[in-house]
Amino acid sequence: MSEKPQEFEPLVDREKRLADARALVDAIENEDNGREAALIGELTAAYSGNIFDEVGRMTREVHDTLRSFAEDQRLGALTEEEMPDARDRLRYVITLTEQAATRTLSITEEATPIAEQIVDRSQRLKDELAKVAASEADNPRLAGVVDSMSRYLDSTSRRSEQLKAQLTEVMMAQEFQDLSGQLLMRVIDLLEQLENKLVSLLQITAPVGGGNTASKQSERVEDGVGPQLPTAGDSVVKNQDDVDDLLESLGF
Amino acid sequence: MDRNMKILVVDDFSTMRRIIKNLLKELGFTNIEEADDGQTALPLLRKGNFDFLITDWNMPGMTGIDLLRAVRAEENLAKLPVLMVTAEAKREQIIFAAQEGVNGYIVKPFNGATLKGKIEKIFERVES
Repeated sequence: MSEKPQEFEPLVDREKRLADARALVDAIENEDNGREAALIGELTAAYSGNIFDEVGRMTREVHDTLRSFAEDQRLGALTEEEMPDARDRLRYVITLTEQAATRTLSITEEATPIAEQIVDRSQRLKDELAKVAASEADNPRLAGVVDSMSRYLDSTSRRSEQLKAQLTEVMMAQEFQDLSGQLLMRVIDLLEQLENKLVSLLQITAPVGGGNTASKQSERVEDGVGPQLPTAGDSVVKNQDDVDDLLESLGF
Repeated sequence: MDRNMKILVVDDFSTMRRIIKNLLKELGFTNIEEADDGQTALPLLRKGNFDFLITDWNMPGMTGIDLLRAVRAEENLAKLPVLMVTAEAKREQIIFAAQEGVNGYIVKPFNGATLKGKIEKIFERVES
């Protein structure tokens, strides 16, 4: 099997090529210089003719592709409807996550004071019970009840503190909305640029007027470049410890 | 550190403003105001007697780094402690923020303990 790329395969008939090659060998062996030169010329002409044919064919293909590109209804729909639609969908994802995060935050904000109240009231009740127990020191049954109630109030208090800490964790988890929102906004921006590029390409191939040809200016760190992905390289800090180390090295 | 100090929290995402505000409340700070970018923050800072600024970096309108520069350039605000809480995590950005005079830098995602630690560190230095 031949491993040669297809474009080098001559279109000249195999029989003719073999005949030409044999005639060439024959001419060289017989030292017929005139015939040798003529045969080489013939062969070369056939092959380079082939190259010109190929270039011509490719040019026509490019031309046809560009034409069909401009005439392709799909592309029009893509730039006019589907890409803006995709952007809207992503914006909607931002809205949905924002709503979910806001709802969760409202609930944690309402629940935290309830947990605080439980801690507070348990403590107060325990203090009151202690006073009663002290004034009725000669009553062993009361002392027993007060003791078990105090222990119950202590554990209620501890668990409410735990609940408060967990509510804080739930609140912190809503941070995802900011980070995912920022990442999505960058994808929306990218879609917009891609759309503009497509529109200008369509304009070049078949001028239809209108459209924005704005292209992306290079990324400027000063403007902010958004959250980095976990796969980013060494130019990005991985965690707060990295930040602290870096700042420390700067004398912070 | 004065728990009654007046703090301005600047972030374009309301979720994040709310999270920072709640964390600050848990740390005992109650005098907190909000702004959604540098442009709205600056006038508040100019007339508001703020003691501390916590700002995001990447915001539409005016970015946090431009806000930091504006603060450092104004005589009345130049000494205001500024903590950046941002998703911007490139080393060159952190160095850049340090050069522009930021007092602390927290990369999102972060937690309450980090916020507490950075605030304490900033005010230890400011007060010493």
